[in-house]
Order: sequence, then structure tokens, then C-alpha cells
Amino acid sequence: MAPEEMGKVTQRLRLWFAISSVLFVVVLAISPVKDLRHEWKQYKRAYVRYAESRPDTKRLLADYNPDIDQVWIPEMNVVDRCTTCHQGISKNSLADASVPQPFRAHPPIPHSIVNWGCVICHRGQGPATEVAEAHTTTLAWEQPMLPARFIQGPCGSCHLADRPETPKLNRGRALIDRLHCTGCHRLQNIDRPAMLGPDLSNVGTKVSRAWIYKWLKEPRTIVDADGNTVTNGYLTEEEPRMPFFKLSEDDLRALSGYLSTLRSHPMESSSINAAVLAKWAKNPETVSQGETRFRQMFCSTCHSLAVTRAGETKLIGGNIGPELTKVGSKVNPEWLVGWLRNPAGYLPHTRMPRYGWTDEDLYKVTRYIREQMVDPDLLKGVPALEQASPAEIKRGRELFLEKGCSSCHVIEGVPPQKDFGPDLSALGAKNVSQLDFGQSKIPRTLVSYIQAKLTDPSSVNPSARMPKFNFAAGDLDAITTALLSMTGPPATSALQHQVVPRDTPTFTAAGAFGEVYTRYRCYVCHKFNGYGGDLAPDLSYEGSRAQRAWLISFLKKPQTLRPTLVLRMPEFNMSDKEAATVADYLKMVLQHPAVNPDEANARASTPQLAALGKQLYEVKYQCQSCHTIGSGGGYVGPNLNNAGNWLTPAWMEAWLKNPQALVPGTIEPRRAFTPQEIQALTAYLMTLRHSGPAAAAGRGAQ
Amino acid sequence: MATLPALIERVRQTQAWKSVFRRGPARSNRTRSLAVFGNLFLHYLPVKVRERALRVRATYYLGSISLILFLVLSITGIFLMFYYHPAVPQAYRDIKDLQFVVSNGVFLRNAHRLAAHLMVLLVFAHMFHVFYRGGYKPPHEFNWVVGVILLLVTLFLSYTGYLLPWDQLAFWAITVGTNIISSMPVVGGRVRFLLLGGNLVGENALLRFYVLHCVILPLVAVWFIAVHFWRIQKDGGLTVKDTDERKE
Repeated sequence: MAPEEMGKVTQRLRLWFAISSVLFVVVLAISPVKDLRHEWKQYKRAYVRYAESRPDTKRLLADYNPDIDQVWIPEMNVVDRCTTCHQGISKNSLADASVPQPFRAHPPIPHSIVNWGCVICHRGQGPATEVAEAHTTTLAWEQPMLPARFIQGPCGSCHLADRPETPKLNRGRALIDRLHCTGCHRLQNIDRPAMLGPDLSNVGTKVSRAWIYKWLKEPRTIVDADGNTVTNGYLTEEEPRMPFFKLSEDDLRALSGYLSTLRSHPMESSSINAAVLAKWAKNPETVSQGETRFRQMFCSTCHSLAVTRAGETKLIGGNIGPELTKVGSKVNPEWLVGWLRNPAGYLPHTRMPRYGWTDEDLYKVTRYIREQMVDPDLLKGVPALEQASPAEIKRGRELFLEKGCSSCHVIEGVPPQKDFGPDLSALGAKNVSQLDFGQSKIPRTLVSYIQAKLTDPSSVNPSARMPKFNFAAGDLDAITTALLSMTGPPATSALQHQVVPRDTPTFTAAGAFGEVYTRYRCYVCHKFNGYGGDLAPDLSYEGSRAQRAWLISFLKKPQTLRPTLVLRMPEFNMSDKEAATVADYLKMVLQHPAVNPDEANARASTPQLAALGKQLYEVKYQCQSCHTIGSGGGYVGPNLNNAGNWLTPAWMEAWLKNPQALVPGTIEPRRAFTPQEIQALTAYLMTLRHSGPAAAAGRGAQ
Repeated sequence: MATLPALIERVRQTQAWKSVFRRGPARSNRTRSLAVFGNLFLHYLPVKVRERALRVRATYYLGSISLILFLVLSITGIFLMFYYHPAVPQAYRDIKDLQFVVSNGVFLRNAHRLAAHLMVLLVFAHMFHVFYRGGYKPPHEFNWVVGVILLLVTLFLSYTGYLLPWDQLAFWAITVGTNIISSMPVVGGRVRFLLLGGNLVGENALLRFYVLHCVILPLVAVWFIAVHFWRIQKDGGLTVKDTDERKE
């Protein structure tokens, strides 16, 4: 370019200027255009179109605004803009499955969506206004939406107490509790119990080295492809508590050697009276009588046995105690006798009650167990194991600590290990970047991490110390749900107020009743003021319900009131004094405030009134469709043959007035009885005193 | 209707115009010079420029583009300040809200961020260019020093801005950076403490970096840019080489 041409406005320059100007405007226009076509705005417009295509347009668009909708909960640090796109979320008329997403209404839940928003339960990124950002993991967001099948997990972050609406969460929590995850991990909302695995201080007196070897080596539990759990060869609903550790042959020998030498305290009172031995040792009837006694005592209420019927083997019986099908091949005979006499002498925290045995019964039952509940193949494949060498014992003790055994099992003189595994009390709030996936190929999400760890810990970390549990698919999800609920302590004190604490009832029984209560472990099956098991009736108000004399006779010889039930109260062989102590305590302490005995007892019963009651029972209200009197009636409710001896009139009146007030959730219908009808029915029921033959007949029929 | 030049002339005769532009129309070299001298902004520019200095090859306009980027950063930065709280954890949410709810927020943030990257790049290029042309030699040696200071201010602006999104990248970048500072002999630890307002990258550090990024460093930059431009003129204009002409 010549110097004189510089600064001249040429055609070419104009062209360049024009083109660059247009380009500049186009570039500047990109952002506003993208803004107009922002995802949430498209959904806003689509909702209007959808609403206009429906007959209830006016109602659907009543609170419509074209801007971003948000739920703001400052104290929970939540900004939730989900309703910007999910505009029909609380519109009842959009509940149908034919309504296209994202406009469909939410199924009914106890919380108001308008007040709580979505992300507290579903997770995801609340402030986001783009589909991918809100729902999934992105570079700048690591808490994607939870798959719907774990939705009960977040419930548990605030509701530390179990709720009936969250069965999966409750199941998961119960499993975590029962499988003693707290042995190694610190967990939120689940306390470390007094006893985790059995105390092994004296295990050498109980089982042989070969049995320990076998137990440690082979997983007793196999989960097949259909998710069925097989324990000891039998199909079961139960999760195994002792997990499978990966142990080498040397480890097995060392551990079994070490454990088999633990027999510092020989089993007490393990001998049988010589006279009994002399009488029964050679008697061919001994074993069959032992079996009868075993059945009569209802051991099966707590323990299950494998029963083969029509070629199919099933476990029959309760799950409070261990399954006993092969126990005769497992335990030493002396130990068995000592154990049955006084279980707490071997395991102080056991749930097994201390029965009042006669030597004769004890001998017969142990003979039955030793001879019938056996499996000659139980210890097949176990190499010949000599007396453990000192080196093996030393190595076994080291292994016991290395593998974290002492997290669950107590051995005198071995320090317990708490928090052997990582703290999981805030696992549910972990970001993906905080998780170590190792070399595994699983998706990078919290859920898949938890499930991989639970299924096979070594799949994520080959050197993991965590043993392998065998969970059925449903239980795996339940435990995952419960772990997801553990999001750590609330971040702020304001949030702390939102948490619904767990109710932990306790029941302390002192004095003479306390001794009986502890000896027979009443709390394992019965509830007392909220504390105790679920298997048997709640006894919190038993003093109002039952008559003293009946209580005593029932405790001495339990006769079932519900013949269709398989699990029954065992026969403890209680003494008269013990039974009276219990009955007195129940009558004195465990009373319902709404049951007033004075008023009902003062009412005079006349034969006319009782006759009217009988008529009401049989004709007007047809109670016999559920209850049995004599030989006729249904089996839904309890047998009323002996109601006059069993129940108190005050309880009956209160019960007929409002059964659910006394026992929440009972299936007894609440009928609109008049006061006269209640009195008449009570008078009639109080005349039913078929003690002896009828009751005995009922019992014999099972 | 009067013609356009007549209209302009009439405006120029008004009292208001004359109060602002004290000299008449720039029709002679003298009035042109007076117009430049009498204007705060224009007097930074030389009255006359050599033709060779205007050619692309002479500067590639690197300094001017840097200035324009600085202006773009100032404007977008002020807009961003409307949406940003230098507080934990609000800072990160504000950045998210730029993406999710602020109109053209993504554009605003990206414009600021890209302009910042570009400015660092161009300031470096500018420095290399000036260096290889010998622009640090007398009489430009003082302006070279000013330029180096501006380079450092630019880098420090970029560094302080890095923390403000309050994400992982920001946190670790500043953690690493301030740890490097602390390895300075004698005063390292104290400088780090001063910069962070504590011993770790937390709320205090965010606030300090915010004040540095939005107030102190821009003021320093504006001051030195002014000196830098003014010195170009005082040092006799841009460095021009004979080769600029011959290559054409």
C-alpha cells in the first residue's frame, strides 16, 4: 500500500467493515436467543399448550406464571426449582399415568410438596433449570437423583424412628442391626449392642476343632440365581450373620487351632444324675420320649428344624434362636447338658431362657438331640486335625485380631476392637469423588458403590478386610436404602429441629419379678411398655386383661388361645412361686388407664342379662364367625371357651367399647354396641368357664 | 430544514457546547493540537504519529487489544458483581444461578472468563513482541518496567479471580498457589497468612481475594495503564524500525 493511500476509505474496507459488523451482531445475538430457548422456558410453554388441550384448562392455569417457580427453605439450605418444569406436581387432575411427564402429579404423600420441594427426598440438583443438571451427575454436581427404589432412604435422614410407611428402610435398619454391621462400622442411628457375635471365651468346650475349621471354611449360606437363600442346605428367609471370610488353609488351621484351645472354664453342671442315667440310658423309649418332650416344650417357637414333606425340605419353626437340624453333630454332649440347664452360664447375654428341667427330661431331650438331629456328613472334607501346635495358636490369635474377629466376638483377655471398619455414619451424603472405586468397572454412583461393596467387597478393593455377606436381592436394596439414610448429623441447629428422634423404650424389671423376667427372657418375645420382641402378645396392659388365677395356670402350663398359630409359648416348668410373682407383678404394674375394674366388678350379673348376651353373640352380632366357643366357631379370634376365667369384666367392657384403644391395630371390629349390649355380652362371656376338659380338648387337637 | 453541516455549526455555537469544548473546530494544525492537549483522554495520544507506527506489523495492536479486553472485563465484571456474594457457600450457588436463572448469565460469565484468559495471553504476547523489537531500550526503559508491573497485575488479577467461583478447582489452585508463596524465605508464611486471612483457604481468603480482584488490583491496573500510555507519548512514540518499511 502506498503511503498516500493510507487512511483512505476504499470499497474493500467498507466491505470488510460491513461483514464484520454483521458478524458481530450475530455473535452477540447468540446468547439472547439461547436464553429465549432455555429448557425451562420450553417446558413452561409446553405446559400451557398441554393445559389448553384439556377440558380443565382454567383450573390448571390458575396459578400459572411464566417465570421460574421455586421452593425456598432457608433453614435447610434448599433451593428447589423442580416445579418450574414439573408444573402439575400437586394438581390432582393430572395424577393419571397417561399425563406426559414432566407434568404428571405426584402420588399422595404425607408431606406437602409445596412446602418441602422435591430434592430433600429425591436428591438431584434443586437450583438447576436444565433437565440433565437437575437429574444426573455432571462435572459440577455429584448427587444425582436417587433411583426410585431407594426413595425411602431419605425418609430416614429425618425420621430416625421407624415409620410404617417405610418398610424397606425399616427392613434395612433391622438387617444392619441384626447382622451387627456396628461391630466394625460406626453407623448413624444404630447402636452397638451389648453382644454381637457369641462370646468365644469357652468355645473349646462347645465344639470340636474340626467343626470350627468347617464353619470358617465354607459359607453355610448360598444365594442362588433366583435370590433364594440357602443356609446349611435349607431354604430360609434369614440372612446369615456370620459372614464369609477369605481364609487360606494355614489361616483355617491356625484359627481353628487357637479357638479350640479356649476352654478355660469347664461347663458347669453338665452331669446327669446317676439314678436317671441308670434308668434311662439303655431304655429304647428314651429318644422318642425326648422328641415328644422337645415338641411339647415348643422349642420350635424359637428354633427351626428342617422338615421334608413331599420331597421338599423346608425349615419349620421360629427364628429367634439358631436352626437346629444338625446341632447333634456340632456340639459336645456335656456342653449341651450344661447349656440347657443354664444358658446364661455360658453366654451371659443369650436370649435363651433358663428352663426348669428335671434331670429325666433333660437327659431324654439331649439324647434325642444327639441321636436324631445329626448329619454324619457335616464334617466331611475336613482334614485330620491334631492338637493345635503353639505356633498355630499364636498365629490364630494374631489372625483373630487381624481379621477383626474381636469386633463381634469376645474372648477373655483379648482387647475388643471398636470401629475396625470405616465410619459409615455419613455414607449417604458422600459425593462420588469421595469414593474409591479402584479398578472396578461399575457405574460411578453412590448406589452402585454401596451395592458392589455389599455384594463382594473385594470387587472394589481387592485387599478389603470386609468379609463377604450373602444378601438376597431385596435385602441388598433394603440395606442400601438404610445406608443412604445415614447422611450424618444435621448441618445446622435449625435442621436439628426437623429430625424426628428415635424412641428407645426401656423396661427395667427389678426385684423378684426381675429375676423371673430375666431367667425366662420374657422380653425376647413379649413387649413391656414398648420394650421387647414382637413375636408374642404385648403385655403392657396384661394386668388389666387377665385374671390372676388364669395367669398363674397359664404360666405353669401354657394352653394356646389361638390354635392356628404354629409358634407358641414354650413350657418353662415354672415353679408356683415364680408364676405367682409374675402374675402379681402384672396385676399390680401393667395396667391400662382406661380400664376401670371397680365399676365393672360392681355391676351385678343376672342370668337374664347373660341370656341376652348369648343371643346378641349368636344372632345379632354373629361373633362365632371369628371366635370359637365349645366346638363351633371361627379361628380368626382367640378361643373364648374359658373367657370367664381368663378375662376381667372391666377389660371386656372396655374392649367391646373400643378394641383399638386398647390394642392399636387389632383386627377386632369396633361395633356400635349400646352400653346395655356391652354389659349383656360381658355377662354372657363371664359365664364361659370351661376349665379343664374343653380347654384340654382344644390343646390336644393341634 | 438546515443541512447537516449547518446544524452541527449551530450546535457548536451554543453555550453548552462551548463550555465543554473550549476551542473551536479543529481545522488548523494548531486547533487540532489544542483539541488534543485540552482533552484528558486524547492528550495521552501523541499529536502526531509516524506512519510506520500505524502499520499492523509494528505492534499487531497487542497493547490496544489488551486495553479493550481490560474494558470488556471491567464491564462484565461489574455486571457479575451484581449477582455475586463473596461468602461461603453462597458464592458457589451464585455461580450456579448465573447458569440457571440469570438472563444471559452464562454469556456474561464466559465473556469475563474468556476475556481474562485472552488478556493474559495477549499481555504476554505484547511483552515478547516489545522485547524482540528492543522496546526496552532507552528511551523506553521506564515504560518497560511499567509494562512488567502491568503484566504482574494482570496475572494477579487472573489468579485472584480464580478463587471466586469457590469450586474444587478454585480451592485447590489457591491452596497450591499460596503454598508456593509460603516457601519464600523468611516472610513466606506471613505473606501467605496475610493473603488468606488465616491458615487455610476459607471464607476470609474468599473475601480478601474478592476485594483484591474487584477493588485494589483494578485500581492499580488503571493507574499503571494510564502511566504506561502517557509514557509512550513522552518517550517519543512507539519503537519504529527501518525494517517495518522495507518488508512491505
